[in-house]
Amino acid sequence: MKRAAAALLALLALGSCARADHRTHLYLQRFFGECGAEYGGGTDIAKAEGECGIITTMVDRFNAENPDIHIDVNVVAWPGYPQLTAQVAARDPPDLVTMHEGVISDYASKGLLEPVDGYLRAAGISPKDFTEAARQGVTMQGHVYGLPWDTHGGLFHVNTALFAKAGLMRGGKPVLPNTPEELIAQARQFQQRTGKPYLIQSNVGDPAFAARNQYTYMMAQGAVLFPDAHHIRLNTPIGVEVADFFRRINAERLGTQNMDTPAAIAAFINGEGGIYPTGTWMIGSFEQEATTPGRPLYRSYAVFPYPRLWGQHVEFVSGHSWVVPTHKRTPQQRAAVARFFRFMAAHNYDWARTGHIPAFEAVLNDPRFKALPHRSDIAPLAAIGRPLPSYVQRQNAIEGLVGEEMAAGFTGQKPVPRALADAERRVNDLLGSVE
Amino acid sequence: MAASLQRGRLTAPGWAALVLGALIMVAPLLWTLLLSLKHNGELVGHSGAALHGPYTLENYAAIFGNSLTTRWLLNSAIVAVGQTAGVLVLASLAGYAFARLEFPFRRTLFVIVLLGLAVPSQAVILPQHQLFAWLHLHNSYPGLILPGLVAPFGVFFMTTYMRGIPKELDEAALLDGASRWTIFWKVIVPLTIPAQSTLAVFTFLGAWNDYWWPLISATRSDMYTLTVGLAAAQMNYAQTSGLGYLMAQAVFASIPIFIVYIVFQKQIVRAMAGAAVR
Repeated sequence: MKRAAAALLALLALGSCARADHRTHLYLQRFFGECGAEYGGGTDIAKAEGECGIITTMVDRFNAENPDIHIDVNVVAWPGYPQLTAQVAARDPPDLVTMHEGVISDYASKGLLEPVDGYLRAAGISPKDFTEAARQGVTMQGHVYGLPWDTHGGLFHVNTALFAKAGLMRGGKPVLPNTPEELIAQARQFQQRTGKPYLIQSNVGDPAFAARNQYTYMMAQGAVLFPDAHHIRLNTPIGVEVADFFRRINAERLGTQNMDTPAAIAAFINGEGGIYPTGTWMIGSFEQEATTPGRPLYRSYAVFPYPRLWGQHVEFVSGHSWVVPTHKRTPQQRAAVARFFRFMAAHNYDWARTGHIPAFEAVLNDPRFKALPHRSDIAPLAAIGRPLPSYVQRQNAIEGLVGEEMAAGFTGQKPVPRALADAERRVNDLLGSVE
Repeated sequence: MAASLQRGRLTAPGWAALVLGALIMVAPLLWTLLLSLKHNGELVGHSGAALHGPYTLENYAAIFGNSLTTRWLLNSAIVAVGQTAGVLVLASLAGYAFARLEFPFRRTLFVIVLLGLAVPSQAVILPQHQLFAWLHLHNSYPGLILPGLVAPFGVFFMTTYMRGIPKELDEAALLDGASRWTIFWKVIVPLTIPAQSTLAVFTFLGAWNDYWWPLISATRSDMYTLTVGLAAAQMNYAQTSGLGYLMAQAVFASIPIFIVYIVFQKQIVRAMAGAAVR
């Protein structure tokens, strides 16, 4: 018994041991998973694959190239905000954190994030270097609150073999619609010739899917979704028109029904539909299927931004960024943050291999980026991408509410006007409680 | 003998219903196990691939390939064992006091303890987090263990159990010159072993499975418990492109719980049936 108690005490003491070295330590907190078993200690970024592999190798490379600095990495369960909030409350926030651009306003508005303008200057980075979508995503009230890292949004992932069968290929490229009526006509033709649905939809348990569609095509028609920081405006003639359009797709069974995200991904991979509108992050997986002989998607994959169906060609997007929570830091740590920013900016191309759109114009025009599969087709997303206004807080929660209601409207569980009104009411209630 | 007689009374349809029920219960577990033995890539397009070979242990190898997994396992073990031991000691002492001792406001205090059963942990999470921050206890074993020691159910459970033990035993011991502590330690505690084991099992399971408090208290990866660590290790979209790994994590995290169930199944069944409280 005494031995067990002594062993327990020894373990407790071991857990409290502090490090002692002369390097400047930065405490970096990120999601994207843990893959140290496969990539830990490696510094060859070009050999790393996927979000986890690339970010793991990049941080190891930074540590190797900067022997006077050490990045201590803390991997959190996606998206990591409950932990970050707890750390802020305990006055022990990390030095660097991965943050979705739509979340920056939640923290920055309360003074919990440092503006990074000074770090960017020290790193020799100008906000003018960012793409338009990335710059909008990290800028709030004239200050930059994060190093933008990518832009991600919805894409039309296309099964070109089925498109060819449906007679919807021209010059080796899929013919995408330019108006809502064209889309319906193409979908009918597609279904008639292939016997399969034109759209693969994840309307179950995936609020981002419906919210992205509604936001994108309302923005395209010039709708002001958030007239101020406390109100959303969805229940308008434009909102009804967009929602009715997706309702029609479901009513005519031109899209798959009752699918969640995994089911929709499996359906697309197995060639069970023409287009799967989902994010940039799936390019790698789909490309792998498209280059594996014998798979249904083999040599049958193309991908493009959402087509312009109304008004302007714009699309709702978000992005990942690196933010610096407000905390007392030494000048050495501040200099280390700037060096980390410079390193990450210099390696933005490597991150773009994940499928996300680069946050820097120079990378967008980099021949290496253009040579990556499909990247020249999806690069316009950096120009047409529009985040929600930076004065809107609780963007994640709002996306959940809007997506839930719009999915109900699209699938006929609720009449469209009621779904729009309910979404407005719920979001306005939420925003009404925000200081 | 009695049990075999009971079994003998089961008719064929009864057996069939039991077997069917058991299969329905086991099917999700078996499905999880099969998925965990498949290459992630095979499952992306069709999870039905789990029904046939080839099978692989690569997902389990990936779990152990993470240098922190054993640390998380150790953390979970320390927290679960620490909480269990603490709850047993405190609940037994409090239960004895409420069941046997006369002191001012005893009934009022017991009602206050019972009210604790009605307060969900989420309702106090903010002040609790703040308190532990002031005490600098986050990212420490005491920080992970101490909140679990507040166990109104344990106090209620032990009080009820001890009330069922005849007072004549205490009185006989008192006549023999035993002190209150001796009565508690030598007479009462040995008689509460069934209740102690039931409470221990439930406390251990609760502590092992806890996610919410470790998530916000242990914010440094070397202090994660297994539940938080495995969740953090998941890549985004794990449910699609990493399904096999996800299921291997679920199986791995369940193994200690499974062992506890196997070893203590008698106590668990008795507790579920309410038989532990006499």
